[in-house]
Amino acid sequence: MTSVAAAQASFGAAGARPALGHRLRRRSLPWLLLAPSLLLLAAFTYLPIVRLAWESLHDKPHGTATTLWVGLGNYINLFADKAFTQSVANNLVYAAGTVPASMVLALLFALAVQRSTRFNAVMRALLLFPSMVPLVAAASLFFFIFLPGVGLFDYYLAKLGLRGANWLGDPDVALWSLIGITVWKNAGYYMLFYLAGLQTLPGEVLEAATIDGASGWQRLRYVIVPLLAPTTAFVLVIALINVLTQVDHVIVLTKGGPSNSTKLVLYYIYEQAHENFAAGKAAAASLLSVSFLLALSVFSLKTMERGAHAAS
Amino acid sequence: MRWLPSLAAVAALFPALAAAQTRIDFFFPVPVDGKLAREMTRLVKVYNDSQKEVAVTAAYTGSYDETKLKAQAAANAGKPPAVVLMSANFVLDLKLAGDVISLEPMLKTDGTTRTKFLEDFWPAVHANAIVDGELYAIPYQNSTPLLYYNKEHFKEAGIDPEKPPQTWAQLVDAAKKLTKADRMGFGLPEGYDYCGWIMEALSMSNGGRYFNEEYGGEVYYDTPSMLGAVQFVEDLVFKHKVMAQGVVEGGALSTNFLAGKVSMMLLSTGSLSFVRENMKQPFGVAFVPKNVRNAVPIGGGSLVMFKGLSEEQKAAGWKFAKWLSSTETLGGWSRFTGYFSPRKSPYETPEMKEFMAKNPEAKVALDQLPYAKPWFATYQTVAVRKALEDEVQAVLNGKKKAPPAEENAT
Repeated sequence: MTSVAAAQASFGAAGARPALGHRLRRRSLPWLLLAPSLLLLAAFTYLPIVRLAWESLHDKPHGTATTLWVGLGNYINLFADKAFTQSVANNLVYAAGTVPASMVLALLFALAVQRSTRFNAVMRALLLFPSMVPLVAAASLFFFIFLPGVGLFDYYLAKLGLRGANWLGDPDVALWSLIGITVWKNAGYYMLFYLAGLQTLPGEVLEAATIDGASGWQRLRYVIVPLLAPTTAFVLVIALINVLTQVDHVIVLTKGGPSNSTKLVLYYIYEQAHENFAAGKAAAASLLSVSFLLALSVFSLKTMERGAHAAS
Repeated sequence: MRWLPSLAAVAALFPALAAAQTRIDFFFPVPVDGKLAREMTRLVKVYNDSQKEVAVTAAYTGSYDETKLKAQAAANAGKPPAVVLMSANFVLDLKLAGDVISLEPMLKTDGTTRTKFLEDFWPAVHANAIVDGELYAIPYQNSTPLLYYNKEHFKEAGIDPEKPPQTWAQLVDAAKKLTKADRMGFGLPEGYDYCGWIMEALSMSNGGRYFNEEYGGEVYYDTPSMLGAVQFVEDLVFKHKVMAQGVVEGGALSTNFLAGKVSMMLLSTGSLSFVRENMKQPFGVAFVPKNVRNAVPIGGGSLVMFKGLSEEQKAAGWKFAKWLSSTETLGGWSRFTGYFSPRKSPYETPEMKEFMAKNPEAKVALDQLPYAKPWFATYQTVAVRKALEDEVQAVLNGKKKAPPAEENAT
């Protein structure tokens, strides 16, 4: 709003001192154009983060009506909480299980269907299909697929003479079941980026490699993959963000159980805030996640710039 | 929500208008089956058409958990729902958080007392409605665990289908006979929430108490009765091998029961209609088997009122809550849903007597009601419950042995 007022003021002043008015107008124009998005960003991103930071330093003990300043107390409690450290560990396993697997699959898919034929168009649509299903819906479907004994998965395993595990009820298996769903769901989506990346590869480089007698594997290993580095960096960031922000399947399928084995950080935050009336602890954990995501995006923007230079 | 105060001001300026109609919100979840939402909407319409002072807007708000979140969010935004159907064991925590209001002033205005008001309600539902000696909730829909069994399987195994197991020993005996290569003799719902409720049933059947009904800061997780219950669960899986290893969610268990892969299960009475409609083989129900005594925890939902209401809204909400929990409404709701009526009087009506004659399973569930006890509600109910559930789940997976596992939970 200030920039609008400034702009009006500059219009008013324009008659009296044209030189100054002109300058003011020129300077205020960018702000004027940026105002709507800045306002929205402030309202929905920056202010909430500030508020979160403030809340993470306060606590309202359950059963009392007063909010207390506790400094870093929430953070200390957080790291003393075994459930939190376990959720961080779970999240790391989840990242290690989902990110490389879905990215490698995505690249393989993209290489397999990169030529535009009618068959490939159908294949692309099929591979992309899982990512078009909302995660909640996918998780609800997998509830039935994973049903111990009578589920679809166990049904087909039985045809092969195998006996399925208790996919969601065994703490050693449950997290890997969720990892499986995530890979199934995300690989097709990341394939899109690799397809786009493959379209922009300079054809002459590949031709030169072919003429020099490079085999298919050598072309992939020494030409295609290095040239795709910017795409890979981008997909990596998206994948890491997904690791921290997707929680629907946990809520629908396991609620963090059995015995905390599938509790991811975001679900831990939800639990603290809404089940345990511990808003301060939830705020502290949220702020840590937000800081991680911010650091990730700053880092990735820098690498991507460098990657883009290297590629060009 | 800024316009609300000004709207109230306008209403105050025109008392005639304000007196004409008070608008209130009612939030309700549907924890069991989709058709319930339509019936509730119909009920609210009946109420709105029956009188002119109160206009109720009913909002279906998902599960019990979601309803709690939405009601708290609405209250924080300055537009609290006047009446909310809330999981009965959230009431204590919500009172501690200052989200719900005491109903004592309304009782006083009506010239009645808590004791008189609760006279017609089953004793088992009282504890979950009262916090610190004041009424905070009106019980609305209730359930207890129940033993479901497949009569066809009983005949195959040479057990009299009209004589279901009554004790833990008989249960183990029957389950052993019923278990086959591709079939388990018995099953329990072991996901979060259900697991705690079932463990309460087992520890109480073993003669114990799960928590201190008078003081929400105390649970009995390391008592012989609870340890014995956990040992029983461990033995069912690993010693007798009549129950599946690992955690089985309620939905997975009932699907397995319907598919004939599990012969007996403990499940809520709230699932009676669901099982009746979907079960192809004949089934029966019975009391939860006892080791020391018959005892089951009550579960279900109660009506609460949120903070931040105007005096008119409070009065209107109270009026609506009383109508919803009247003998007639509760009777109809109970017949429609399969829940118990928390009031005794609906069971004296001819409609209910006819219904009971037609549905013998519902009769068994009702007969078990005198043995019902309060649902656990403690300081931080969910966290305290999960501490026990995590340990029980570890036992079910063979990660821990019964007694030491339970000491960790305390």
